Amino acid sequence: MKKIVIALLLLLPVKAVMAQKDSLSFDEHNKYIYYDVVVQPGLTADTFQNRMLYFLKVNYPQNKTDKISDPGSISGSGKFLILSGITAVKHVDGAISYTFHIEYKDEKYRYWLTGLVFTPYKVDRYGNSVPEEGLGVELEDGAKKLDKAELNKCLDQSAIYSIQFGHKLREYMVKVSAAPARDNKKKTIDTKNW
Amino acid sequence: MNIKVPESTTIYLTLQQLLKMKKKLLLSLFVASAFSYIAKAQDTVKTTADAPLVLYGSVDTYYKDDFSGHANIPTSFASDNNSVSIGMVDLGLKKSVGNASFVGELSFGPRNDESVPTSGYHIQNLYVSYNLTSKLNATAGYMSTFIGYEVISPTGNFNYSTSYLFTNGPFQNGGFKLTYTFSDKVSLMAGIFNDEWNVYTSEHDVSTFGAQLTVTPVKNWTAYLNVASGPTSGTILDLTTAYQITTAFKLGLNAATFTPAHYGFGPVTYGYSGVAIYPQIAVSKAVTLGLREEYFATKSSGSSLAGPLPGGNVLGSTLSANIKSGPLTFIPEIRYDNINSKTYTIFTDSDNAPTTSAVQFVLAAVYAF
Repeated sequence: MKKIVIALLLLLPVKAVMAQKDSLSFDEHNKYIYYDVVVQPGLTADTFQNRMLYFLKVNYPQNKTDKISDPGSISGSGKFLILSGITAVKHVDGAISYTFHIEYKDEKYRYWLTGLVFTPYKVDRYGNSVPEEGLGVELEDGAKKLDKAELNKCLDQSAIYSIQFGHKLREYMVKVSAAPARDNKKKTIDTKNW
Repeated sequence: MNIKVPESTTIYLTLQQLLKMKKKLLLSLFVASAFSYIAKAQDTVKTTADAPLVLYGSVDTYYKDDFSGHANIPTSFASDNNSVSIGMVDLGLKKSVGNASFVGELSFGPRNDESVPTSGYHIQNLYVSYNLTSKLNATAGYMSTFIGYEVISPTGNFNYSTSYLFTNGPFQNGGFKLTYTFSDKVSLMAGIFNDEWNVYTSEHDVSTFGAQLTVTPVKNWTAYLNVASGPTSGTILDLTTAYQITTAFKLGLNAATFTPAHYGFGPVTYGYSGVAIYPQIAVSKAVTLGLREEYFATKSSGSSLAGPLPGGNVLGSTLSANIKSGPLTFIPEIRYDNINSKTYTIFTDSDNAPTTSAVQFVLAAVYAF
């Protein structure tokens, strides 16, 4: 019995890691997608839009956000690095670019990340990690063009990134969209009176 | 339904179980906490372009067999004949915080010794960099040269043996440079560098001017127009370009001409011109084939560092395969070099008689991390 408990303890994290990858699904075009719908009673579409723009500005300043042409949706693109190695010291394997779409109406919004493309990085003569241009691989084609371990790493990190994106978005949707006003007045301590 | 159990009994049994299971519980707790720590570490993905502290590098080893029975081709590295020999251990660290960054790259081994200016030093790159604005970057220190197609690190080259253009050109330049990015397609670097190539300390002054115009005419095609000129180091003009035409096919080109300084103080007293093309094709997920076809001519005055005698030229053909297995790359390679005349030759046959051609086979293994 004790051995079974220990074995289960060992298996739990493995299952947790597998679950990250499983967070990605396929859409109707056979593309990997991370998709979620959130019901948020009491909030209007305008409030969602303001908070979403603020969320993107604060958390993903390097993302490109498309001009809002269709009221009720925000879309854009971004990328994140695929890193390997121990916690303190990392190696840059590459980057995954993606597109994001957020749609909203009163009391409800949905978002999805898709279009995942892995671009391997190489170290250039100066020691900089730079993309190997022209060698981008859509993750759907990963089985043909990447080795299994590399593909699994990309899928796992894409899922983790997408989950983080979703968690942060949910947080910001229940927050006010402006940064708290800073009190510029310096705090001074009067040591004479106590 | 409640079952009443005397409190003292309950406590006694729990303690007894704890005592019996003490070791295994501790082990389980350790395993659980270790895995939760790992799971927590896996749950963070860097969302910006900066990584925390980046480690990179490589290890390489090779076997070479020149068909004459002795080493003939004089280009850099892979110099030992009929020997399983080592290249180098290369270790680089870099870090960016805000607008500031540094790179420190150390290497050890014969490949290091043949590529750094001072014995006992192991520095390939050591510089600091600062983004003055989003478009203007300032960098100072000792850096890999901006000239040429091939590099010192074996991970940066497709072929394991190196070209005549690489061996005769600069390896590193110490100095200060500014890089301005006009757009995604155009940037310009200009800088002032030590009076000689490949020196940690200038001989007299900091008098080599260097510039690099980077142009990206179409997606996946980048061209670099380079110049380095100084009263001591001479003048080198260089074009380096690479075009990833499809995901399977890449074409690279390097052309350069070098004129030594009239009153140069340094060891560089030779002149040369050359051109090399680098077609590469991926034939499977793991295997890419690549050819280097190089023409290299030495000028009639002065001697060449590596190549035919003054006034001669050499045509070098190198066919390599890159066979990848994760971070490990095997490079089998066959190379045939032919000098235009025995008058200019540096090759000898198995009887040590002058000959115009040399053939060598190399099998290298490069591990990158």
